[in-house]
Amino acid sequence: MKRRDFLKSATLTGLATAGYFSSTMFAAAQGRKTLTLAYPTSFPSLDPSTSFSNDNAVMANCYETLTRYIPDPETGSGTVSPLLAEKWESADEGRTWTFHLRSGVTFDDGAPLNAEAVKKSIERTKTLAGGASFIWDAVEQIETPDDMTVVLKLAYAQPMDVTVSAGYAAWILSPAAVEQDNEWFNAGNSGGTGPYKIMRNEPGQRCILARNENYWGGRDEDRFDNVVLEISEDPVLAQSMLESGQADWTYGLPYENLERMESNPDLDVVVNPSFQNLVGFMNTKKAPLDNVDVRRALAMSFPYDDVVGAGTNGLGSRARGAIPPGIWGHDPEAPMAMTNLEEAKSILEATGVTDLELTLTYFNGDKLEALASELWRANLATIGVKMNLQPMSWEAQWDLAKSDPANAQDIFMFYWWPTYVTPYDYLLNMFRSEDEPIYNLGYYSNPEFDANLDAAHELSASDRAASEQMFRDTQRMLIADYPAVFIMDLPNVHVVRSDIKGYVDNPAYAHVVFSDELSK
Amino acid sequence: MNTAISRLGVAGSIALGVICLFLLAIIFAPYVAPFPEQGVGDPNIASRLLPPSPEHWLGTDAFGRDILSRVIYGGRVSVTIGVTVVIIGLCIGLPVGIVAGYSGGWIDETLMRITDVFLAFPALLLAVLVAAALGAGMWNCIIAISISWWPWYARMARSEVLVLRGQPYVEAAQVMGVSHPVILVRHILPAVFRPLSVQGALDFGPALLTGSALSFLGLGVRPPTADWGEMVNAGRAVFPDRWWIAVMPGLTIFIIALAFSMLGDAVRDAEKSGSHDH
Repeated sequence: MKRRDFLKSATLTGLATAGYFSSTMFAAAQGRKTLTLAYPTSFPSLDPSTSFSNDNAVMANCYETLTRYIPDPETGSGTVSPLLAEKWESADEGRTWTFHLRSGVTFDDGAPLNAEAVKKSIERTKTLAGGASFIWDAVEQIETPDDMTVVLKLAYAQPMDVTVSAGYAAWILSPAAVEQDNEWFNAGNSGGTGPYKIMRNEPGQRCILARNENYWGGRDEDRFDNVVLEISEDPVLAQSMLESGQADWTYGLPYENLERMESNPDLDVVVNPSFQNLVGFMNTKKAPLDNVDVRRALAMSFPYDDVVGAGTNGLGSRARGAIPPGIWGHDPEAPMAMTNLEEAKSILEATGVTDLELTLTYFNGDKLEALASELWRANLATIGVKMNLQPMSWEAQWDLAKSDPANAQDIFMFYWWPTYVTPYDYLLNMFRSEDEPIYNLGYYSNPEFDANLDAAHELSASDRAASEQMFRDTQRMLIADYPAVFIMDLPNVHVVRSDIKGYVDNPAYAHVVFSDELSK
Repeated sequence: MNTAISRLGVAGSIALGVICLFLLAIIFAPYVAPFPEQGVGDPNIASRLLPPSPEHWLGTDAFGRDILSRVIYGGRVSVTIGVTVVIIGLCIGLPVGIVAGYSGGWIDETLMRITDVFLAFPALLLAVLVAAALGAGMWNCIIAISISWWPWYARMARSEVLVLRGQPYVEAAQVMGVSHPVILVRHILPAVFRPLSVQGALDFGPALLTGSALSFLGLGVRPPTADWGEMVNAGRAVFPDRWWIAVMPGLTIFIIALAFSMLGDAVRDAEKSGSHDH
């Protein structure tokens, strides 16, 4: 009987494998050039107005924004380059922004790009008010003085040239797509100006893109005809796909395996700084973590150097607050908690808290979070704090965190990468007061912090230097309150087949491959 | 000399020896394991990913923990899961099977159809579904496997009772007016218990293997508790460069499951030859 069960499973596995090959081999059979990207995470929503997860990988190939942000790792700043907008200017001290659209651009459904399409796209995102729609909060009015000009009137000054380059919620849709609902997009339809369009979406399995024949950028013969974004949650599978040539690009492989891949002549390991960081949110709404001294003691018990060293083979670096290097507003002098178990113990004793038992949740597929959690647990045990580790699926972990904070986890391991390149994005999403928690999963709430943050944000277009200083001061206020353990700034490590030409990582668009830039 | 051990044969005796050694090791784990604190879960970052050596016979894992110590401590979890699953399975399956077989009629039909519902699902798949619904953790893992385990005992108990029901001593008791519960408990249960307890002992290996399968899938014990299935899974990602992390606990599962299987065959053979003797 048991053997029969095993045979059943083997048959199912066989069928699944056959399904994979049938989908990825289809293009090869037709003599078409296919790029296969192995992603460790699924794409929860393909609606460009509300998508706010790893789906940006698909969006960025099918849709475009008015501008694109190109970071400069050397200087830590960056430039805004034209995309759907050829040029732009601001007036009224950053309260009015005029974007002049590129001519001759058509959507994949054949409709021309015009000011009305841009206006309707932004309005759809604002109306749905999901995902990262907050990027449009300052926009009060959208005017279209002529077919190719869009004027954004703001309630307060904003660097809108950067805002419109966002990797989320800034995509421009065709007028026909604007009328569609979430279901239509997730069924595998798209309506963008990007070099590709969605051909088929198989949720949880893969998303297959085909070249957009109407693409305004034209078509180089050596570019790929199809892109398959293959979801491979298992890093072992992703690695073997890459090594055997079934995939051309992936990330999220164990750091321990990098040496092996570096020595493989068929593969290139591309290491860059990222705008991504790892934090451990502490539940500020639940005793005894509502006591700042208890949080301070926990922060001082964290094994920072061990986690950076062992967790990322030394490729990561200690975080100074929530804003990583490369993002303006980063504070290279910001105070860092240092590991000091004796002091942590005495601080904890002074608070009178005894027999402390905490629950920490982390994403069960993430080796770095697992390592950080286990090393922290071991350190805490030495000062008499018991930490229960709870590895969970991301959805379950997030659902628990979004429930009542009083019954939620004590500590939540969390990665953040920016919606667009601004310090505001980090501090707003992770630490500004929220009635219904979305990403502020330590439930930090401090009216003074909120007010300073908003003020710094509003200054960001009119007086960048003052704004930057204000962001730094606001972040220091945050650091002194220990709402989270700021663990590390992560490296971006992507592994690419060495016959792929033209690969450049842009950390402003986390783990996005701009497939049209590549050839084989 | 016709002792129990000699009736097991060479293979059975070796298997029994391996199992006894294994049980001794896990009972005296704090004394046997070279690094007991690492067996319990303490990391040792300075010794990460070391290959097998005289200091660490089976190497170390990504947390620098001695794999031999983890394997020994992981055995405690595996044995707990194996024993508890079989006991819970018997506690549910035995009464259901006895009542069904003895009562007959609609009670038998109802109980057996319920049993069939559970048997209709592949055992491992059912356990995975239940464990996924309950969440990770050793006790949830035990509940999940037990739910897929008891129907076999119910079936077996029922078929034994169907034979016993027609035996003269049972019919005599019925004629003498002894109540059904008393007949069940005093006359039927002891007769059914023996073959089922042998089967239960033989099932210990498969139950342990299922527990390892669940923890391999991330549905077993919570870290940092050592568990063989979880250890294999953790080592998979860095295989083949650090093969020992997955291979050592995998080999342990293989040896122990094989030992139980061989012992089971030997006991069955011994039972058969025993019954021929009489």
